[in-house]
Amino acid sequence: MSTPLIELRVPPDAASVSVVRTSVASLASRHDFTLDRLEDLRLATNEACALLLDLSSEDTAALTAIVVSPATGTLRVTLRRRGSSSTLPGPESFAWIVLNALVDNLTVLDSDGEVHLVLTATSGTDLA
Amino acid sequence: MSSADDALLAKREGERAMLREFAAMPLDDPRRAALRERIVTSHLALVVAMSQRFRDRGEPLDDIIQVGNEGLIKAVDRFDPDRGVEFSTFATPTIIGEIKRHFRDRLWAVRVPRRLQEMRMQVNRATEELTGTIGRSPTVREIAEHTQLSEDDVLDTLESSQAYATLSLDGGDDDESMSIGNTIGEEDASLEYVEVRETVMPLLNSLPARERRIVVMRFFENKTQSEIATELGISQMHVSRLLARSLDQMRTKLES
Repeated sequence: MSTPLIELRVPPDAASVSVVRTSVASLASRHDFTLDRLEDLRLATNEACALLLDLSSEDTAALTAIVVSPATGTLRVTLRRRGSSSTLPGPESFAWIVLNALVDNLTVLDSDGEVHLVLTATSGTDLA
Repeated sequence: MSSADDALLAKREGERAMLREFAAMPLDDPRRAALRERIVTSHLALVVAMSQRFRDRGEPLDDIIQVGNEGLIKAVDRFDPDRGVEFSTFATPTIIGEIKRHFRDRLWAVRVPRRLQEMRMQVNRATEELTGTIGRSPTVREIAEHTQLSEDDVLDTLESSQAYATLSLDGGDDDESMSIGNTIGEEDASLEYVEVRETVMPLLNSLPARERRIVVMRFFENKTQSEIATELGISQMHVSRLLARSLDQMRTKLES
């Protein structure tokens, strides 16, 4: 496992999601993501955080974001929060269609009572 | 009277006839969309002229024209020829209102400093030029080199133009008269095989026509933001912003 580039633990609210979104976008720009990919990853991060925030709206459980770069031009964003993936919208929901279209790979897993949404995105510079 | 005057008069009369026909047409008439398109096209010059007045305010002219067009469409839908008012007189405040609303929501509300507005224009222009020369959307570094701005400045500019809208701005868009049937034509085909039609359609229906089109292009036709920008003649930043706003709006709708 690569060393995290950032590891953020924030309260589950919209203002904090904006911190996560902005940090991820900033990392993506440093990893030479094209604007298309950068803006997609920013949107995906926002959508994934929104899904996790909806898990239990009264709950104060923190939202954790960890970003690693497993390979040059690739970022893996793991967003996790207390809860169970069984309460997330199903794979045929609009939220899922959106997330799948925005990132190269999307993985959902449950671990230690937390839901992990793992987004993998590539820079897109090899398209030229 | 010169023949040029005659031609102008004939054109005006043609426009009036189209507007009368449109107003008299039942809402579910299949010819409605095509006729509206023709009316909108014949009045484009009006939108362009009004958009010029806002050109020095830090937004790309194409984006302003696009916003103005939404106003024009609303005006076409609401116009009542029986009131005896010329269409251009009726449409002007709606078009200007739409453009002003755009500035109010996107720029003035967040008080974008002049320097940021100038940087935004530079970044927009660079993005367009570089996309043309490289054949893909540029990276922040490439934009920074091209514009001589720092990478942080470019990033700040992208950030600020995102303007993740507050929910209050998104609520209650008033073009409910556009049903999905007459605004999504060919895009509808790409939704045909999606099993989730029943859940997706009501969400898409809650969006204004242009946003709906962009959402369908991005998520169901898998076009990139820059491809959509090129196709619709608007900046990539604007596409990105409209997508973010649409997703917010659909999520709110889903939760309610």
